[in-house]
Amino acid sequence: MRTLLVLVICATSLFAQQIGNPTTQDGVTPPRGTIAIRNAKIVTVSGPDIERGTIVIRDGKIEAVGANVSVPAGAQTIDGAGLSVYPGMIDAGTNMGLVEVPQGANGTVDLSEVGDLNPNAKAIIAVNPHSAHIAVTRVEGITSTLTAPTGGLISGQAALINLLGTAPKEMAVVPQVALVINYPRLGGGGGGFGGFQQPANLADTLTANERQVDQIRKMLRDAEAYGRAQDAYAKDKSLPRPDRNVVLEPLVPYVRGQQPVIFRADREAEIRGALRFADEMKLKPIILGGNDAWKVVNLLKEKNVPVILTGVFSLPQREDDAYDSLYENAAKLQQAGVRFCISTGDAGPEVRNLAQYAGMAAAFGLSKADAVKAVTLYPAQILNVADRLGSIEVGKMANLVVTDGDLLEIRTRIRYLLIDGRSVVLSSRHTELNDAFKNRK
Amino acid sequence: MPKIRSRLVVASALLFLFAGASNAQRSAIDTYAITNARIVTVSGPVIERGTVVIRNGLIAAAGANVTAPSDARVIDGTGLTVYPGLIDSYTNLALPEAAPSPSPGGGGGGGFFLLQQQQRPAAGPNSTQPVGLQPEVMVEDVIRPGGNEIESSRNIGITTALTSPRSGIWMGQSALINLAGESPQQMIVRSPVAMHVGFTPLRTGQYPGSLLGVFAALRQMMLDAQRYRDSLQVYERAPRGTRRPETDRSLAALIPVIDGRMPVVMLANSEREISRALDLGAEFKLKLIIAGGREADRVADRLAKQNVPVLLSLNLPRRTTAALPEADPEPLRVLRERVEAQQTAAKLAKAGVRFAFQSGSMNNISELLGNARTTIENGLQVADAVRAFTIWPSQILGVQDQLGSIEVGKIANLTVTRGDLFDRNSRVTNVFIDGRPVDLRPAAAGGPGAGRSSVSGTWTVNIKLEGQADQSITLTLQQEGERLSGSISGPLGAGEISNASASNTGEVRFTVSVNVEGQTKEATFTGRLANNEIRGNVAIVGSAPGTFTATRSGQPN
Amino acid sequence: MKRVISELLFLAIVTTLPINAARAQRPAAPETLIRNATVLTVTRGTLQNTDVLLRNGKIAAIGKNLNASANARVIDGTGKYVMPGIIDCHSHSMLDTINEGTLAVTSMVRTEDMLNPTDVDLYRELAGGVTTLNLLHGSANPIGGLNTVVKIKYGRPAGEFLFPGAMPGIKFALGENVKRSSQPNQPGVTRRYPNTRMGVEEVIRDAFTRARDYKRAWDEYREASKREKNLIPPRRDLQLEPLVEILEGKRYVHAHCYIASEILMLISLADEFGFKIKTFQHVLEGYKVAKEIAAHGAGASIFADSWGYKIEAYDAIPYNAAIMTRAGVVVSMNSDSDERARRLNIEAAKAMHWGDLTEEQALKLVTLNPAIQLGIQERVGSIDVGKDADIAIWNGHPFSVYSRVDTTFVDGEVFFDREKDLARRPELAKERAALEQAEPNRPRTQGPSPQTPRRRPSKHEDDDMEVEKP
Repeated sequence: MRTLLVLVICATSLFAQQIGNPTTQDGVTPPRGTIAIRNAKIVTVSGPDIERGTIVIRDGKIEAVGANVSVPAGAQTIDGAGLSVYPGMIDAGTNMGLVEVPQGANGTVDLSEVGDLNPNAKAIIAVNPHSAHIAVTRVEGITSTLTAPTGGLISGQAALINLLGTAPKEMAVVPQVALVINYPRLGGGGGGFGGFQQPANLADTLTANERQVDQIRKMLRDAEAYGRAQDAYAKDKSLPRPDRNVVLEPLVPYVRGQQPVIFRADREAEIRGALRFADEMKLKPIILGGNDAWKVVNLLKEKNVPVILTGVFSLPQREDDAYDSLYENAAKLQQAGVRFCISTGDAGPEVRNLAQYAGMAAAFGLSKADAVKAVTLYPAQILNVADRLGSIEVGKMANLVVTDGDLLEIRTRIRYLLIDGRSVVLSSRHTELNDAFKNRK
Repeated sequence: MPKIRSRLVVASALLFLFAGASNAQRSAIDTYAITNARIVTVSGPVIERGTVVIRNGLIAAAGANVTAPSDARVIDGTGLTVYPGLIDSYTNLALPEAAPSPSPGGGGGGGFFLLQQQQRPAAGPNSTQPVGLQPEVMVEDVIRPGGNEIESSRNIGITTALTSPRSGIWMGQSALINLAGESPQQMIVRSPVAMHVGFTPLRTGQYPGSLLGVFAALRQMMLDAQRYRDSLQVYERAPRGTRRPETDRSLAALIPVIDGRMPVVMLANSEREISRALDLGAEFKLKLIIAGGREADRVADRLAKQNVPVLLSLNLPRRTTAALPEADPEPLRVLRERVEAQQTAAKLAKAGVRFAFQSGSMNNISELLGNARTTIENGLQVADAVRAFTIWPSQILGVQDQLGSIEVGKIANLTVTRGDLFDRNSRVTNVFIDGRPVDLRPAAAGGPGAGRSSVSGTWTVNIKLEGQADQSITLTLQQEGERLSGSISGPLGAGEISNASASNTGEVRFTVSVNVEGQTKEATFTGRLANNEIRGNVAIVGSAPGTFTATRSGQPN
Repeated sequence: MKRVISELLFLAIVTTLPINAARAQRPAAPETLIRNATVLTVTRGTLQNTDVLLRNGKIAAIGKNLNASANARVIDGTGKYVMPGIIDCHSHSMLDTINEGTLAVTSMVRTEDMLNPTDVDLYRELAGGVTTLNLLHGSANPIGGLNTVVKIKYGRPAGEFLFPGAMPGIKFALGENVKRSSQPNQPGVTRRYPNTRMGVEEVIRDAFTRARDYKRAWDEYREASKREKNLIPPRRDLQLEPLVEILEGKRYVHAHCYIASEILMLISLADEFGFKIKTFQHVLEGYKVAKEIAAHGAGASIFADSWGYKIEAYDAIPYNAAIMTRAGVVVSMNSDSDERARRLNIEAAKAMHWGDLTEEQALKLVTLNPAIQLGIQERVGSIDVGKDADIAIWNGHPFSVYSRVDTTFVDGEVFFDREKDLARRPELAKERAALEQAEPNRPRTQGPSPQTPRRRPSKHEDDDMEVEKP
């Protein structure tokens, strides 16, 4: 028995070594500097395209953009002739860095805490900067992701990270960007890992869900009261000093509507329920999932609630739904004036295909320009970081992708990649395995 | 009169003592005449006003000019209509209650199969095959007379039923029974009638555990039966020098099937289920009968061409649930199916497919004739509806010389109504089975589920586990016949129950996943309903056994 | 929703015709002339401003200014692309059940018994330009069940889907799924053999050893029965008969596998018993042993870029198609998923993005190559005169993410048409409204609650690929 245990441990540690990230940049974050991209087509996203222009990057920020910008002396230059520059893509619905191999390697899974109410679980704590998924994803032009914990009712707090860095701190754009609430589902299983089994009949499910919503409600009310008590004490030290509570404390900015709360909801009734609850609790909601959002456009518009669409590549929700109901979901939201962005909704491995999700929405009614926005500026706006990310504007973080063609086209290659003003080598675990085996005789 | 009564007493006593040999004893007093009635002979034209004479259990005479014999008990049939006794061509009547299934459900074919899954098949002793693959099982061995279900069927005019094994792949062999008699021997009209095939995978972890395997297992056993038959022939020709084939009851039971002597009834409802059955039937040249047949009209021409009859279920699909705004709309496919199922009978008749009506395990047998009326409203000729309850099942089941029409010499099974059989306001006034009147209870007696205590509703369950504090959970149950569904919620987690059943004697059984000390475990509850409480035992995998008591906290919604 | 009007019409016809007769008697597809399109022939490059004539279910002519008969339907193909119907070499669509998991060898089960021609995902696949599927048994067993190759004739009875002349095949599987790695030990339940990759080899070796003996027993019996009358024949064994067919080269092996060592294991076992693996399916580490796969003569049917969903998928790379293609392996891109099957054009294009395959090489990944792997390359897989008229018209180049399918033809008949689909939506809404009023469909006032909607059952054979969405 003991031998067995030792064997298991040996095997596990061997494995742990195997699944590192063998990129050449492992452990070393490349330096910033002054970089200029010249003669490139610049798709600023926020403004008109510049057919032939220059971008100057200094100390991680975009210093200048334009047709007539000159290159500062000493700048490293990239010849952009025939190439296009886009802002880096942002996937606002992933678990990037929280799971390496979901099946068969439980030790690499840091998605879901024990228990139902974990507002203090912070994705930024567990993100693995050396996950192979990170380099594999960024070399396809995705420079930032929202990475979220899963499970339970209050899953925890999501981080917005750049896909570059040796430590989570270096990666963090916003370490705690949103609270993630797993709004109780009306079917289609529970909320991911650790989700609930549901009763067979809908009336019972609704009752059970109401009880779960009650649990969330109670905790949010507690957090509100906690925040008030702390404020009162800060102003008036004669009051009894309230104890600090690490579970409630992080909730305070969310219950005050200062920071957004992400509700996972796909079905119409789930979306309506989440919006009702957000209204009641005066939260600032974002819908994540949104497969039925096209059925709820009026309400979403009225409440000005944005949607992170993760289901572009899902099969239609119901047997009778049109074959293109999820392909054209984005276009319908756009037409109705609902704010949205497009995400893969994937844990990690598929995030690199984000461009195709947006492209497919463009094949079904969304304009190409809006499809690009749906993975750049729109997610930045929804996550309140449009002052830093999502477009090519002076003063923004230099997350830039230089391509040899249309950003969303499959055949397009990424030629240069800058994250936070740092030039990133376009290698990953996949390119290295390719290099190792492609010439095997 | 006193004399007759005393003879009746003697006869009854004899009947009781010598059940099997009593026919001769009762002949003298078993002569009846229904006079002045409208007679729907089925085999010939309707006799608008005539007499039917019953003697010695058989139809002795029927016609406009027949007069009642002087020894007959005369029933004035003025205003009444006499039909051949109705035949329900697929039931589980007179069979013992199904035991709860030992293992999880799911998968399988259409809804009809799922219904069967909760039930354990009878077992053949010394079988070479696992339970569920035992074609040698014969229902005649387990038939029990009497009971509410038989009575409910008789009350609506059913005199005869095909009773078939409840479940399995090779389910076993059916019997045609009259729904009266004190012993199985008195009831059986013909046995075996047919081999029955369901397509329900074994749920024991054994092969075949899926519908894929079911088809392969059916084929392999038929091939094995062919070889068994051939081996026996070889051995018979040359026992010396040939190794003796091992006897095999299962394969022996299949020989008449593969020789095309015994019909095979296959349960199939959807178009594809029926097509699969037809393909298998053609592959092995079986004498096939389809039971269920909800979408049989879609393959009507194949059925007609292969001369395959259908035992068509009148358990017409309909929505059973209430409206709820949060619910998804039902699929168009389902909506169409329900409407189209009402037209199947008419379409089969038009396409020349032979069919007979059956009750299809409907919850409330009293809806049977009403559902037949629905098929008439959807285009079926009234006369064909009568035939589908009488002469057609008798032909399909091979008893056309004994049953199915009012003709001299046939068994005197008669259903007498006031008003036409399918009229909304008609009433069954008399039923004769084997020439004897049966007592009819008021129709209010309801279906087979009537009188049973239901466990539907919401229960508060107190659980005592050894060495642990009491736990209280909420249990919601929904009972339909023996089928039980529901869910639990509370400190042990929330989840659906499975493997659930409730017998008509109040035994309740179900399994559910519970969360104990952070681990998900299977808990099996077995208990009995008494005085509005369910008490019993709970077994949790890996934990000490416990007990539970459930008290009602709400009625079914 | 997806029941096409043609289906309704068809039902009216089919209810009066038995399947085989229906196939014979169904009127030939109407003649169609596609004018002035860009034609991706696959075998002979891209033809600009070219006409394609579909007649009697076949591609009758390709060229400029073709003439059609007066009653032919003429489609203006200006700006459109004509591509062969996509062939998905790994699908579980339209199967009511995909796994018989009780035994390690289930070669007696047949997917053909499980066809559900009403599966709405078939229509969704047609809308992605897919016309042919290789329906495979699941991956629960080292030797699984028999496959079925179908044309997607959505709306027709199952019998009409069968691809005439396709080579019979069988599913094998190696690695984590057959070891049941993701299934926990149940107390008191014996684990099914095998539990290791060693045992997987053992199971397959044992089965083929038995198959050889079986064949020998029958050969001997046939020989002996010429002389002797009263012989009892050997038992016919449905499990071993397909294996004998493999040994005789009459049945293709499609072997699910992941890692390099198990690929090499199966190659050497097959070499030892003298049979061929037609395709390695998934074969995520195929790039590591591409030359051995090529030397055996096997094909590879892969995902474009799926990786990392389980341990044995951790070394997968999106350059797999390119490396194997260059090593001389016939490679196809498959879906193994009703969802992914709808966008195999994108999957094929990825081989240009990763690994620099040419456009023609990439096109072959979802057309001619899978046709070769299924033994149907004489019928489909390219736009050549005489081949089946299984094609799709796209509104742009199918390798552009912005393109979608306008019309899909199978045997010259339209089975998907976007315009008709759009036009039919209000009609279906009307039909629904009417049906909901019908007595059997009305909600019951006293009835129980409707069911909680279920998650759509995943049709991945590798269920574990369905990584939970955050």
